Parts: sequence; structure tokens; C-alpha cells
Amino acid sequence: MNSFLTFKKILDDLKRNDSSCQNKKLIGWTCTYLPLEILEAANLTPFRILPEPDTEKADSYLDPNFCPFIKASLEKALSGEYPSLSGIIILNTCDGMRRLFDAWRFYCKPSFSYFLDLPRVIRPSSVAFFKESLKDLIHQLDFYFGRKITEEDLQIAIERSNRSKALMKELFSLQGMGEPPLTHGDILEILSEGWKIDRFLFNQALEKFISLLGENKKTCSEAPKVMVTGSLLDGSALIRMIEELGGEVVASDLCIGQRILNLVNLDTDPLDLLSKAYLGKPPCARMQDTKRRIEGLKQRLMESRANGLIYFSLKFCDPFLYEAPAIEEAIKETGVPLLFIEGEYTGKPGGGIRTRIQAFLEVLRRDG
Amino acid sequence: MVDKGFRIKVLRKFVHLPYTYQFLLPILVFLHSKENPAYRIWVRFLLNTFREAYAHRKPVVWANSFLPSEIHYGLDVIPVLPEIISALVTYLGWSERPISKADTRISTDLCTFYRCALGLALENFLPRPDLLLSSSQLCDGANKFFSTMGQLYQCPHLLLDPPYSNHPRSHRYMEEQIEDLLKQASQILSLPFKKDRFSLVLNRSNQARQWIDKINQLRQSIPSPFPGSEGLSYLSGMNFYSVGSIWSIPFFSLLHQEIEKKVSSKKGYLPKEKYRLLWLHHVRPYYKNEIFNILSSKDAAVSFEEANYLYWPFHDSSQPWKSLAEKILSNVWAGPIERRMKAIDEMIRSYSIHGVIHFSHWGCRQSCGGAAIIGDYLKQKGIPYLTLPGDCADPNNYSPGQTRTRLEAFIEMME
Repeated sequence: MNSFLTFKKILDDLKRNDSSCQNKKLIGWTCTYLPLEILEAANLTPFRILPEPDTEKADSYLDPNFCPFIKASLEKALSGEYPSLSGIIILNTCDGMRRLFDAWRFYCKPSFSYFLDLPRVIRPSSVAFFKESLKDLIHQLDFYFGRKITEEDLQIAIERSNRSKALMKELFSLQGMGEPPLTHGDILEILSEGWKIDRFLFNQALEKFISLLGENKKTCSEAPKVMVTGSLLDGSALIRMIEELGGEVVASDLCIGQRILNLVNLDTDPLDLLSKAYLGKPPCARMQDTKRRIEGLKQRLMESRANGLIYFSLKFCDPFLYEAPAIEEAIKETGVPLLFIEGEYTGKPGGGIRTRIQAFLEVLRRDG
Repeated sequence: MVDKGFRIKVLRKFVHLPYTYQFLLPILVFLHSKENPAYRIWVRFLLNTFREAYAHRKPVVWANSFLPSEIHYGLDVIPVLPEIISALVTYLGWSERPISKADTRISTDLCTFYRCALGLALENFLPRPDLLLSSSQLCDGANKFFSTMGQLYQCPHLLLDPPYSNHPRSHRYMEEQIEDLLKQASQILSLPFKKDRFSLVLNRSNQARQWIDKINQLRQSIPSPFPGSEGLSYLSGMNFYSVGSIWSIPFFSLLHQEIEKKVSSKKGYLPKEKYRLLWLHHVRPYYKNEIFNILSSKDAAVSFEEANYLYWPFHDSSQPWKSLAEKILSNVWAGPIERRMKAIDEMIRSYSIHGVIHFSHWGCRQSCGGAAIIGDYLKQKGIPYLTLPGDCADPNNYSPGQTRTRLEAFIEMME
């Protein structure tokens, strides 16, 4: 049984034995700059909108040259395929998210909807503004769901979230352990389970899974080591493809992977800390500072000892598409080969992408 | 035959010479002597701006169209707006080469105005910037294109990042950002930071605003006195580029005079006007195309365009940062789509509109992303609506047959 299935079994057992977590209301969310701790402090379960690729209905409601992830997100909402969401929170991430918020409200009429402002720069005034915006979100949640979020609630939620992120980090460090060895693709799939369920339950499952893995030895691989960066991936399909083709994904800078492991220091003012931690997390291309992103990528490449970088951008994703040449130049200067892929949100990368990855891995193998 | 590369080299040389614009000025003014005097001011304004930008006697600042132009004139710099240059290059029929050049570097899925500007920059046709200022309003491209330019020219880039909400906290944050940005810009450009100058510029902007308002009121007349195709070229160009400059008041007041004459004589821009249309999106195709001719042949006038909708209130020149923040945050194309729909409702009422066309420019997510919602909203109200997909800068993406069929079907629907 592969590692993901083992984890899934652990999780399902826990779910069966503990139904208390499953009675909480679900709130849909779309961007990892949202401090989920706030929702958890409100006794809500955050539910990440990560739909299956399908845009049949949404094609009539959004422009043809529009982000396929946004379209797929709307598609599921139009088809009523999300579990019973008690509301949605969308962030000012990009043009696509702004229009998704409009379309969701206009066509699906959610009972609770909130749009959270998100600065593109990090400076004291923007952190203060983000904090004010978070305060407003708390106020709206208090008002709508009728439960006052206290500072203590927030602190407990931060502790729990920190625990979760520490476990995820530990999980990444255990890549290569177990039989069959735990892969990056397995880890991303395990993480994706955590987007839909209560944090407490997820942490329990992670702890149990890690303790099982700890009994195994790490397998050393001779495969070319690859890091993957870019916009949102449609699950772990691309990572799985790299692994199937004989590459080893050793690190990822993705919002479904290692871009979300920002710990929040516990101190006196939780909102202040959340604002700083979330704005300051490893940046996505929507942030202004490309240099910071480049420096972060270079460091991760060095730490992970990756031989190559794969940069994936969804079609029509302006922030990632604009940044690609700058990243490509900066990374190539370090001598690390880079493969740029512009693709659909399909769930199954096409033959063209497969061939390009195959060729890229061959180059990495040849160059040792 | 002269080698193409050589011709480009010569052209580039001429483009960079400030004298070129001095030389072109009397010729172009003569050639346009029959045009309305406001149009001649637009020509003078552009030539003067380009001459100054290439002469580089003052700092040259690149900016995007939605950064309030009062900022450039308050700083006393020469503004270069790449989007407008792309539109002009397209109008002259030269956009294909720079777009193809850009396509060797960035994705073809991005906005062609920015791709055209990138190509021009890669081929060294544009005046070198000392500073890049951009506002993330209205689109992601406005932030990322300028970041790209910053890397290309090794030039500082300052970003104004307006929030989505129009809440009091957003106004406070905007004011802080504006003041910070202007102080930083002054420091980078070694310019004295003069708050008084901003007050003067805002007073000028207020006078221009008065004229814009009067023009917009005159355009409510039936028949339509002023063509939408021109509203989407030099009129919107001056709206984005000149407000706050010494050019804006003569331009808008002269244009007002011209339109007033037409209104007094009850003359429309079309011989016969059967339908009055509203054009949505800030742009139109600037290469040779038949869109407006097809509409005219069906007696359909483009009576107004949302690009010229006056959304910002008068400035309080004693509080320049507060006023500029107000202008930015009152933008109806930012924030929730209901703000844009409310403005569209108002335009439909004020301009006695029969039908609405949304031009969906390739690569524009912010406007086109709302096209279906606006369409459904208008259809609920029984207002005929057409989404016309196309490209404003790349003539290769223009499909004459399909465009004609869609426009004719739309007019038939109104009949």
C-alpha cells in the first residue's frame, strides 16, 4: 500500500471514532494568504476550494481567456457540488479572484461571503492595514455566526495550526522513508486531505502516520533531483508524473506545498502576529517583490540540493506568467537548469508536457 | 532594397531624437488643420511630451494609466504611459513587430498593450525611465509589467497598491501610501518635495474636471454630437494622461466648445441616428478595422463610452493626499462589480442608451471577467447586450467576418 493510502486509512479510522469535529460549519476559501486560524477560532472548519478540473458551465460565465482554476472553482459552485458550505471567503489575490467573488455572489448567492483585502507589499503600513482587515473579518464572522472570537480562541487556534505546520515540515523531512518510500507526491496528497477536515483530526492522523514512518529507513535515490515552483497545481498530478518519469521531487514552492509552512510566533497580540506571518510567508508571484521570491527560490534550491527547477504556470495566470522570464534568468545564472511549463488545470498533464519533462530529466541525468 | 534591420536602426535613431518631434509638430498641425482644435492640442501634447521624454531635461517617469496623472505633474516629471504608446503605435500600424518581439520573452496569453510596450522596450524604442511608478489598480499586469521593466532597465519601481474596499481604513492606508510614494519618488529623482505644487495641480485638475463634466452632459444630447470612436482615442487619452497638466484645461474647454456648436445646431455625428450605444471597456481596436463603420452604416451611434465616465469627486487642494486617495478609491472599475453596474445603469439612463457593447480585449482579465455578469444583469433589464471579443493592439487577432456577423446580429436584435 502506498504512503498516501496508509495515511488515508489512519484518517478514516479517526473520523469514524470522532464525529464531534464533523459537525462544524464549513467555510470555503481559495488563497493561502488567509489566516485559517481565524476561522478555526470561530469554531468553523475551513474548506479549501480545490476543485476537479471541469469548466463546462463556467465557460459561459467567465471569459474564454480566464484562469482555468477560477473557472473550475465556479463550475463546482454552479453545479452545487461543494459540500454544504456556510459561506465563502475570497482574497484580493489577483484579477481572477476578484471576478470569481463577483460571479459566485451573482450566480450562486452564498449566505455568507467575504472579500479580504490583501496588500502586495510588506511594510509597516501594509501590515497594519492587513491587521485592520483581519479585525473586520473577525467582526463579520462574530456577527454572522453569533460566536464572539476571543484572543484566547485565536491563541489556541494558532497553537494548533503551528503544530500542524510543524508536523507537515517533519513529514517533508521524512521523504524517502517507508516501503514504498514516501514521495513528494504522497506528501502533497496527504496535505490535500488536510484542506477539507478539522485541524485537530488532521494533526492526530499526521502524528500517527509519522510515528509509523519513523520506524523505517530512508531510501537513497540516484534519480535527478527536481524542485517545482509556480502557480496552483491541479493536485499532485504533475509531481506524480515527474516521479513516474524517474525524477525525484525534493522540494516544492507551491501554495499546495511548502509555501504554506509559515509558523506564527505566539506572543501578546495574535492578530499582529498573524498579519506579519501571513504577509511575510514565502511569496507567491502576486506579491510585488520578485527579488525576494528569487532569493527564496535560490535558497530552497541550495538547501534541497535540487539539480533542476520546474516552473509551472497556469494559463492566463498573469502574475506567474509575467515573472517567469525574470526567474528563469536569475536561476540560470546559478547554473541550475529550468524548465518552464504553461499548462491547463486539467488533472492530467498532456503528452506534450510529459515529453518535455522526460527530456528535461534526461538533461539532468546527463549533466549529473 | 534597403535592409529591414537598417530601416529599423534609422527609425530608432529618429524616434530618439527630440528634434524629430519639433520637426513633426508644424507638419502634423497643418495636416490636421481641418480637425477640431482640441484634437490639435492632443497632437501638440503628445509631441511635446515625447520631445521632452527623449531630451531628458527633466526626470522621465513611466506609469500606468490608472495612476492619477496629477501625480506626474505634481512631481514635475515627464510622464510616459506605455499603454498609450502601444495604442499609438497600433494606430500607426506598427504594433505587430513589437508584439512578436515580446512573444519571444513572455506568454502570448498576456495583454497585447503590455506585450507591445515590452517589444518596444526590448528594441530600445522607448525613452529610458528614471523611475517606474505603477498602481496595481486595475489589473495584475499593471504591477507585473512595470516590475519586468524595472528589471530590464535596472530602474527603481514604486508601487501604489490600492485596496479593494472603499472603507475608511482603505482611505487612511491610501493616503499614507501616496505620501510615502511621493517622498520616495522625490528622493530617487533628487527633486524637491513640494506639497504646494500638488495643490496647484489639483486645482488645475478640478478645472479640467468641470469641463469634462460639461462635455459629458453635452454628449447626452440626441442626436449624439461626438463619436464614441474618438471618445475612445484622444478624449480618453487626455483623460488618462493630461489631467492636472497645463494642457488639460485648453483641451477640454475647446472640445466643449466644438461639441456645444454641434448640439446647438442639432447636428449628430451620424447623418441619421436610430440607435444609441454604450461602449464598455476602456479601449477599442486601434488598428484599421470596420467596427465603427459597420455600426454607423446601421445608424447606430456610439453615444458614450465608460472610459470617459467621470467617477472621481472634486479635489480638496488643501489636502492633496486625501484627495488623490479619494480619486483612486472612487474608481468604479475597482471593487465589487456592483459599483461598475451602478455606473453603467447611470450611463444607460443619462445617455438614453438602446444597447450595450462590451469589447473583450484579449488578455484583459479584470474587465472581461465581468462581461458575462454585466450581460446577464442587463438582459434581466431587457437591454440588448453584446460581448465582442477581440484584440485592441494586435491586428492579427481581428476577425473581420466574425465581427461583422456579430455586430449585424446585435443591431437586428435591437430592431
